[in-house]
Amino acid sequence: MSTPDLPDLLIYAGIPLAVIAIVFAWVYAAGGRNAKRYRPGRPYEFKPVWFLARPEADGPDGHAALDAAARAELVAAGDASPVVDVTGGASDRW
Amino acid sequence: MTAGDKHDGHLVEVRDTHDLAVHDSHDVAVHEVLDGPFTTRQLLRLDDALSKADRATGFTFSVYVGDISEPIREGAEKLHARLAHPANSVLLAVAPEQRQLEIVTGSQARKRLSDRDCKLAALSMAAAFGGGDLAGGIVSGLAQLTGLAGKPS
Repeated sequence: MSTPDLPDLLIYAGIPLAVIAIVFAWVYAAGGRNAKRYRPGRPYEFKPVWFLARPEADGPDGHAALDAAARAELVAAGDASPVVDVTGGASDRW
Repeated sequence: MTAGDKHDGHLVEVRDTHDLAVHDSHDVAVHEVLDGPFTTRQLLRLDDALSKADRATGFTFSVYVGDISEPIREGAEKLHARLAHPANSVLLAVAPEQRQLEIVTGSQARKRLSDRDCKLAALSMAAAFGGGDLAGGIVSGLAQLTGLAGKPS
C-alpha cells in the first residue's frame, strides 16, 4: 500500500476539516449575537426600559406638577376620588 | 431610514426604578435601548404595537421591562402612578429577573378592560415569556388588550 500523496490528502481530509471549521465558526458567531436575548432562569442584566408611544406627552413624571395642582383643586372641591386612583389589572408568573 | 430614526422620541430609557430618568437626548436612549434584550426588528414591532393600541383604544399603553421594587404589585402600581394620565393608562410591567408580570389599569381604563380581560392577556404573555420570547409576548399581549378594550365610546 502506497502512502497517500498531497492532493488526495487535501481532498479527503482537508475539505471535511474545512467544512467542520466553517460550521464551528458559524455556530459560535451566531451564539455571540444571541447572547443579548433573554433566557428564562438566566440572570437578566439589562437596564430597565419603559416604552411609550408618546413619551413627551404621556411619559413618567412629565405632568406630575400639573397633576398635583389639579388634584389639590379637586380635593378642595370635595372630590377625593382622584387622590388615590383605583387601579385594576392582573398578575402572572412564569 | 435606520431603526434609530424611527425610534427617535418613542423610547424612554429608565436608569433605575426609584430614580426615573427620561433622557433629553434620545440618541443616548436609543443607543442604550438597542443594547437591551430586543433586536431592532423587535423594537420596531413593539413601537408599532404600542401606537396601534393607543390609537385604537384611546388609552395610553406603556410597557416597562426591568427590575421592579418589591413587593412587585405595589412597585408596578407606583410606576403606573408616575405616568402623566394614570386613570387612562394601562401599564404592562415585566420583571424578567423576578419572572413576574403585572398589568396595571387606571380607574377609567378599568371600565373597559376588566381584570378578567387582563388575566387572559397575562396568561398568554406569561406563556410566551416562559419560552424566552419577551417581545413576542408583549406584542401579543398588547394586541389582545387592544381587542378586548375596544374603541372609545
